[in-house]
Amino acid sequence: MMTFEQFKDACFRLALEKGCESAEVYATSSDGFSVNVLNAEIIKYAVERNKGLNLRVLFAGKSGYAYTEVYEDPERLVDRAIDNAKVIENTDANPMQGACAYPEITEKPNPVVDLSEEEKIDLALRMEQDALAYDARVNRMGYCSVDTGVAETHISNTLGLNANSTERYSYAVLEPILKQGEEEQSAFSFKFGPEMTDYHSIIQESVGNALMQFNASPVDSGEYRILLRNDAASDLLAAFSSMFFAERVQKGLSLLSGKLNESIASPAVTIVDDPFEADNPRAFDAEGVPSVLTTVVENGVLKSYLYNLKSALKDGVASTSNAGRMGAAGAVTTAPSNFYLKKGEKSFDALKAALGNGLIITEVSGLHAGLNPISGDFSLIAKGQLVENGAIVRSVDQITVAGNFLAMMQGIEDVGSDLRFGPPGAGRIGCPSLLITKLVVSGK
Amino acid sequence: MVKSSIVNAVLDEALRTGGDYSELYLQDTEANTVSMVDGKVENANYQRKVGAGVRVLKGTRSAYAYSADTSEEALIACARAAASALKGTKECEAKTVAVDRIGASWAKIPFSEIDNAKRIALLKRATNAAKAYSDEITQVVANYMDNDHRTWVYTSEGVHAEDRRPRTRIAIQSVAMANGEAQTGSCSPGYGLGFEAYEEKIDAESVGKDAAKTAVTMLHAPECPAGKVPVVIDGGFGGVILHEACVHGLEATSVGRGNSVFCGKLNQQIASPIVNAVDDGTLPGEWGSMHYDDEGNPAQRNLLIENGILKSYLVDVLGSRLMNHPVTGSGRRQDYTFAPTSRMTNTFFAPGKDDEEEMIRTMGEGLFAKKMGGGSVNPLTGEFNFAVGEAYWVRDGKILCPVRGATLIGKGAEVLMKIDRIAKNMWMAPGMCGSLSGSIPTNVGQPRIRVAEIVVGGKGGAL
Repeated sequence: MMTFEQFKDACFRLALEKGCESAEVYATSSDGFSVNVLNAEIIKYAVERNKGLNLRVLFAGKSGYAYTEVYEDPERLVDRAIDNAKVIENTDANPMQGACAYPEITEKPNPVVDLSEEEKIDLALRMEQDALAYDARVNRMGYCSVDTGVAETHISNTLGLNANSTERYSYAVLEPILKQGEEEQSAFSFKFGPEMTDYHSIIQESVGNALMQFNASPVDSGEYRILLRNDAASDLLAAFSSMFFAERVQKGLSLLSGKLNESIASPAVTIVDDPFEADNPRAFDAEGVPSVLTTVVENGVLKSYLYNLKSALKDGVASTSNAGRMGAAGAVTTAPSNFYLKKGEKSFDALKAALGNGLIITEVSGLHAGLNPISGDFSLIAKGQLVENGAIVRSVDQITVAGNFLAMMQGIEDVGSDLRFGPPGAGRIGCPSLLITKLVVSGK
Repeated sequence: MVKSSIVNAVLDEALRTGGDYSELYLQDTEANTVSMVDGKVENANYQRKVGAGVRVLKGTRSAYAYSADTSEEALIACARAAASALKGTKECEAKTVAVDRIGASWAKIPFSEIDNAKRIALLKRATNAAKAYSDEITQVVANYMDNDHRTWVYTSEGVHAEDRRPRTRIAIQSVAMANGEAQTGSCSPGYGLGFEAYEEKIDAESVGKDAAKTAVTMLHAPECPAGKVPVVIDGGFGGVILHEACVHGLEATSVGRGNSVFCGKLNQQIASPIVNAVDDGTLPGEWGSMHYDDEGNPAQRNLLIENGILKSYLVDVLGSRLMNHPVTGSGRRQDYTFAPTSRMTNTFFAPGKDDEEEMIRTMGEGLFAKKMGGGSVNPLTGEFNFAVGEAYWVRDGKILCPVRGATLIGKGAEVLMKIDRIAKNMWMAPGMCGSLSGSIPTNVGQPRIRVAEIVVGGKGGAL
């Protein structure tokens, strides 16, 4: 078997010999460790070694891809990529990033990654133990895990691009199951980065959320004023983030088409895509384009879409460094970096007082199904609390909240100061709690 | 894929620290995808994924290590890494292979014999049919995938099982727009067959037309009213309600740790007496089928519910240890990056005796969910939710008009008891199911059924 370098060089040489204008390699490799405990025993222990190489060639102006995890037979990979380029009918140009300089990025040190396996296992065991001791109603864990790893990304091409990054990641996930009489409830909570060693906040949050669900019941169907808590709000914003992708706009798959410099949200709303955000900074995107900060919505007015090189060229603008890939095996698409709605001034409690009579929504589920990023419509199962005269009256479950994303954005009365990010994935999305004029609730 | 001497060395190394069971899983998958937007090929991709995973069990403890490198050194390193989770001394040896199980591909026309031109021709036919359906169709996104998934499982108990699972699917999404509003419709059939699926099972034009019809129908539909009403759910993908509302709660993943509303309910009434439900991984050429599961056990037809009585859970090797229940051929995983766990295959309500028209005629006011979308469930509480892709409001037993934006929510245990009609004609539709061992292909299915009442979510007023 060839080494990575030999294989990559052979791919480049063969691609150029076979008539490609250029060729690019996007390669990842990672080592990970994961442990899940239950009843003071390890029930899952995993050691992970990933690697893969995605070849992109430009042949007669078209991009073709081929991916492999075995570094043998470079010619076959090049042939497959060329075959795939030959069938492309979309006539848009397919630019590749050339040699360039990158901004300095300072990542927060993450010593958790360097802990020994025993120390990581011990961390998970202690988290379970402390969760059980936290409240008498904590019965057992549905999930209690610690994950760490190091992931390397390499992008290079025959135009001189050479971009390398190393990400050291860690996270803890906890799902305590609480029992009160015959009723059981659970809730997930997580923490990423070096702060995960402060697992008490994870315990506090997950147990608090599970406790809130006891003795819940639906409310009457109707229109309600809504306080969408920061975690539910960021889930919803994440699910609709593709509306802002230029690629989707250009393909007629976004309602934001033709809305640049128009009001698409209440003046309380400012949304940015910030690759330099302190907890998750990056120097370049999935095409090796140097990071830039983009204001997407400013005081309710749509200022920019999110672009990769191809969609940017098509609109005659610069890339906003938002190229993404669905894993190493995927083609270049669009993805946010740290995409968030900027925080306002009011605390959650102040927003609750401002809500007066209405519902706090603490969780929305089924986002992959009950939500359509093309139409903007959503109808989602939700949990929350009924609020009367600014005070919580009782917990609510078995309801749906329904609305349209753009109508909801126009209906934002106020934005909280409690900005919170969801888990990193295809982009990391953040949102503070949002006070919303009305959504339709289906319950009793 | 690897020499038997290496297999034995790996399985043995994995048992070095006191494990009582070890397993080596190898995978080699080739996949092709083509995506088309507005009738033009946007992207074509080829992917080869190769890797291996070693699992060690000791009682109900489990350790797993995987690597994208399948060299002898890498496999031994995986075995060592998994074994290092246990701190004991060796208690048993791996047996040499005593049972050979070889599953032959159901494909008549393997994907290696197909070029991109044929794949593209299918997508064009579907796209053209969608566009031809109506001027209101403003966009069509068409995706094609084929996948030749080969697996090798070796266990310390002397089992060697190989399987080869071809799968192919086209997914058409149509967008209809008018007056600043957009609605979508989709249709995504798939089979565990080779390219002959497109001659024998799937008609690309019908797929495109079907997706377009839903989008246009929904564009002219008012918003669905909210409330608790009787609901008729059509056959095929409607079976997602069984998948989410019940069978996730029958998987050892949740039952084995006491985290399901269906724990301890074997041989008890959990559904209305007219309900029979099956998970059958043996159906030749179906989307969720396989010959041997990802733990090397033969796929089975499992009768889950008989006349409303719970008869079986879905159990993998680890689950069988936790539950003292035989394995059911349900050990599955997305790929080598996941340890296997209990999963569904082709899961459906068996045909009943009722008439499809009668159940609407006698329902009074309610919802007819013609096309279900996806959903999810919390197995601990049984709370589920589904989107409805194409729905109609029924009044006085007659279809009044289409309605958009409907969601169904409820608790699985309650809904199963409220099923009061099951029609005679059952069919299935494919989906991707996500759980602890990744995203896997599963079929859902049912005949048309009626549920006496479900909470329908929507944002519309009275019709």
